[in-house]
This record gives sequence, C-alpha cells and structure tokens, in this order.
Amino acid sequence: MVSQSELIKEARENGMELLPLDKDTYELFFGPQHMATENFSIILKMDGHRVVKAIANPGFLHRGFEKLAELRPWYTNIALLLRICVPEPDVPEAIYSMAVDELMGWEVPERAHWIRTTVLEMARVSAYLFWIMGLSFKLGVYTAGQWAAAYRERLMALFEELTGARVYHIYTIPGGVRRDIPGDKWLRQLKDTVEYIKSKLPDFDHLVFENYITFKRMEGIGVMDKKFALAEGVTGPNLRATGVPYDVRRMDPYLLYPELDFEVPVLKEGDALARALIRRYELEQDLYILEQLLEMGPPSGPYKVQDPRLKNLPRFKVPAGDAFAHVESTKGDFGAYVVSDGGNKPYRVQIRGPSIAHGIRVLEQLLVGARIADVPVILMSLDNCPPDIDR
Amino acid sequence: MEMEEIDFKVAPESKIKKKPSYIKPWLGLKYLFKKPVTIKIPYEKTQIAEKYRGFHSLDWKKCIGCNFCGQICPARAIEMTWIEVDGKVEKRPHPKIDYGRCTFCQFCVDVCPTGALGFVSNYMLTTEWKDEELELFDWVPIHPDKIKEINEKFPDYRFPVAKIEFNKETKEVTYYLRDGDVFKFKILGYGLRPPAAAKPKPAKIEKKEESPS
Repeated sequence: MVSQSELIKEARENGMELLPLDKDTYELFFGPQHMATENFSIILKMDGHRVVKAIANPGFLHRGFEKLAELRPWYTNIALLLRICVPEPDVPEAIYSMAVDELMGWEVPERAHWIRTTVLEMARVSAYLFWIMGLSFKLGVYTAGQWAAAYRERLMALFEELTGARVYHIYTIPGGVRRDIPGDKWLRQLKDTVEYIKSKLPDFDHLVFENYITFKRMEGIGVMDKKFALAEGVTGPNLRATGVPYDVRRMDPYLLYPELDFEVPVLKEGDALARALIRRYELEQDLYILEQLLEMGPPSGPYKVQDPRLKNLPRFKVPAGDAFAHVESTKGDFGAYVVSDGGNKPYRVQIRGPSIAHGIRVLEQLLVGARIADVPVILMSLDNCPPDIDR
Repeated sequence: MEMEEIDFKVAPESKIKKKPSYIKPWLGLKYLFKKPVTIKIPYEKTQIAEKYRGFHSLDWKKCIGCNFCGQICPARAIEMTWIEVDGKVEKRPHPKIDYGRCTFCQFCVDVCPTGALGFVSNYMLTTEWKDEELELFDWVPIHPDKIKEINEKFPDYRFPVAKIEFNKETKEVTYYLRDGDVFKFKILGYGLRPPAAAKPKPAKIEKKEESPS
C-alpha cells in the first residue's frame, strides 16, 4: 500500500498535481447528461448536501464560431452565428446584420426595421416561454412546462410561415430581411397568437409564479447584490433583479424601440425569485410591444436595401472599418464587434455574449453554500445559453 | 455606483411582485377535461408551410454551372459535377448536394442567378437504416415539376427518390423515383473544369473539318 504523500510526490515528479484527499467532502459531476444543465457541466465539491465549491466545466458545445466566421463569406456567416443562442437565434443574426449595415453605410428600409423588431420580439416571447418550460421542470411543476411548450409551438408555426424554418430561422440578413411578410393572413395569425398567449398568462401565474412551492424553493437563494453584479458584468434581467434599471432597448435604442411604449421591471432582492418575476413581467411587456407593433402595421416599401453589390453575393465585399451593435436579448446584453479589412470575409467577429458572465463566474459564486436541490434552480434562474459560453 | 438619470418608464414593484398562494396551483386542474393540444403522429398530419426550406430541386436546362451555390455554401455541401445523360455530355456542371452536410440555409437558392436551383417543402431526412438508403441523401436534384408530381401521389414530405444506385466502375447513377420512374445518368468528374471524358467535343471538331473544305 502506497501512502498518500508518496503518491503526491510521484505525481509531482511526472509533472502532475495531485491534491490531498479530503475525507469530509466528495466530488459530484453535475451534467452534461443532467436535464437541467443543457450540455453544460458543473463539478461540485459537496459537504453532505451543501455545495462547498463549484467549478463550471463548459466546452461540450465548442464549435469555434468566431474563428469559423473569419473563414466564410459575409452573408454565409448568418447561417453559422445564429447557433450561438438556440432559444432565440434571431438575436445573433440581428447584431451581426446591424454591425455589417453600419460598415456598409446602408440605410435599412423602414419595412425591414418593422419586420426585424417584430421578429426580435417574437423571439423574446418564444425564449421566455422556453425558459418557463425549463424552470417549471426544475421546480417539479411539469404541467406548466408542457403548456409553455405547446404555446411556443404556435410561435414556431408563425416563424415557419415567415422564415421557412422552425428553429434556425436564418432570416435577418445585412441590409434587411430575406423574405417579405407572407401576407395579411400572417399578421392576423400573429395577432391571434399574441392574444392567445396573453390570455394564458394567468394560468402560468397560478401554477408557477404564485405557487407557494415556487416561493419556498426560490426565495432567498442565489442572492447577488448590485455591486457584485456590476463588477461581474451581469446584464439583462439578472442585473435588473438587483435594482439596476439597465435595458439596452432604452439605454442605447435601436430599430423601432424609441417609438414603442413599455416598462422596464426592476426589483431589489437579487435572488432567484426576483429574477423569475422580472422575466415573467417582461414576457407580459413583450406581448404588449407586439400588440403595439401590430397596431402600427408594417410600413410599405422594400424589405431590403437595393444595392447592385448584392447581385454577386459570393464576392460581396465590405469596406474596411469596424462596427459594434448590441441588442437586449432575454439572456442579457448581446453584442457583436465586426472588423473588416475590405475583403470578402470578415477579419474578425467578436461576440459579446451575456452567458459567459452568468454561466461561469457568477454561477460558481452563487452556488457556494447552496443545497444540491437548489443547483438546477439557480442555474435556471440565471438562464444562460451553453453554446454562448463555449463560443 | 451612481446611475445616470432615468428617462424611461420603470415598472413599480407592486406590479411585478406576486403573493404565494396555496389554492391557486389547483386551478390548473380545469384543463383536465379539455381537448389535448398534441396530435397523434402518424395518424394525424401536420401542415407544413408552403415555403418551408426543405430539399432542393434543380432545373437542369436552366443551370449554367456558375458555382455561385458552391461558393456561398457555409457547410461546403455542394460539389459541381459533370454529367452525361443518354450519351450526351451536359455543357455545364451541375451542383451535387450532400445532405449530410447541408444546413438548409438555402443561400444557394438565393444566389442562383438563373433561378435553376429551388427548394421544395419535403424535409424528412429519416431512413429505415437499410444499407441502400444510406446513399440516398447525396444527389444532383431533379426537376421541381417532377417532385411536385411525386408529392401529389405521396403527400408525406419524404425524399422523392426511393433508391439511388451508384456503379463505382462505370460511374453510372440510377435514381429509382418513388412513383416508379427510373432516371439514369453518368458522372464524368467533379470540379469546375471539364474532366478528360467531357473534353472532346465532336461538334466542334466536325466544324473544323468542314470549314477548310
């Protein structure tokens, strides 16, 4: 029998580090097969049922988006970059397109603005429904989760009609959008869907957000304060739950948002429950925004810019320069920094994703001291996108 | 940290906050006696959007072999193929699409300058895992009218070809379409430049012989 000190010595001689065995704690691999983690893994050091230390273990979805984007023509990158956030693929499409628009100096037609705003809001609603599904599964309220999936299906059908695909839309392109709205029938269907989901919101309240189980499970866990959140670069609903009224749609308005009326929800608690309630209120506001957009109606005109350079897409070149564009997604502040050297491929595409802040540093610190049953709830209340972490 | 002055609407806390309830969660039971939203596949059918981005179709007469589709393809799924039909060499190469790589972004259809490449709403990429089926999804698309004809007979959004046979020695490809038709052609080579087998053009040689006489 070799003693522990001898093993450590032998490991060190071979260039490895072997940590001394701690008999009070044990290591638990949480994910990536676990339903709650979504292709993301956490190594938990446990003492009984309390977490002593958490180490995020990402990399299961690494595809090297940013490097791949340098190897493909400008337009083609849309089909790649949208994979960064699967629940709302329109956000990476929109930021990349907006940055390229700025580089080209294009004035995107008003109709394209309207369609882009509508698609972004539809994506927000569908992402929030997807999140409700995830959260209620983690809380054990499976019924509400099934409902959310069923209502999201209606939005997916609308996306299918508009863009030609259900999940990966590949719809927003530099200079506008790829297809025009299919017709008034589609607008009527969207209006019906918005009304339908709005009428179903009280059901979600009853089962999830007003349920005493939710309060018992989520109140007071995963608390972060304002100072910590600002230092770690937390954005989106997670930051608003700590009492900072920061919303890109209001702070740095883009598309049609200056003309739209909506409220930014802010809470001071900063716990998992506050984050959930913020998201619940934003879902309501997004439906209200969609109602306003439908009342406004799509302006007439072309749906993408008319430029002779667009006739030869494989050799489409963008003038040298750099541009940054960001939008408010359901996860947080999503931005793209695009550099062009005048060639037919981007020189650099840097994505500023919210999940890398939420999913690594913040999660690791929020999990310390949590019970094992609360780990999925904290993870879901942060609402991160694993492919965005692995970029 | 001090925030800048806020000039937008902030929702009051009273609107956002909820009160825990012991009774309300039971209200979900009211859906117990309503019709389910799920549908029973395969006994019931889903309606696919008219312009769903599915498999490709290709009008061989319109295709000019410009390779725009091959250049724009983000997955590099398109390979230009030189083809011989009934002993006649097609003047330009045609795209051969590998659905193992295709992302169905349909940028190739957008850039096609003559509108030869199109798409149909068929989307089923599943097989019964027979050996012969595994070679299915790598094809030079066929005419859209033919696919529409097949779709009218079999409205199940499956691949329009039931079996593709590829003879490795003679490079002959045989499509057994789902409606029973058989379509044969020969692959002469790949790439933009014409392969050796496609180079000798009898028509031109004849002209040269004729002109001096």
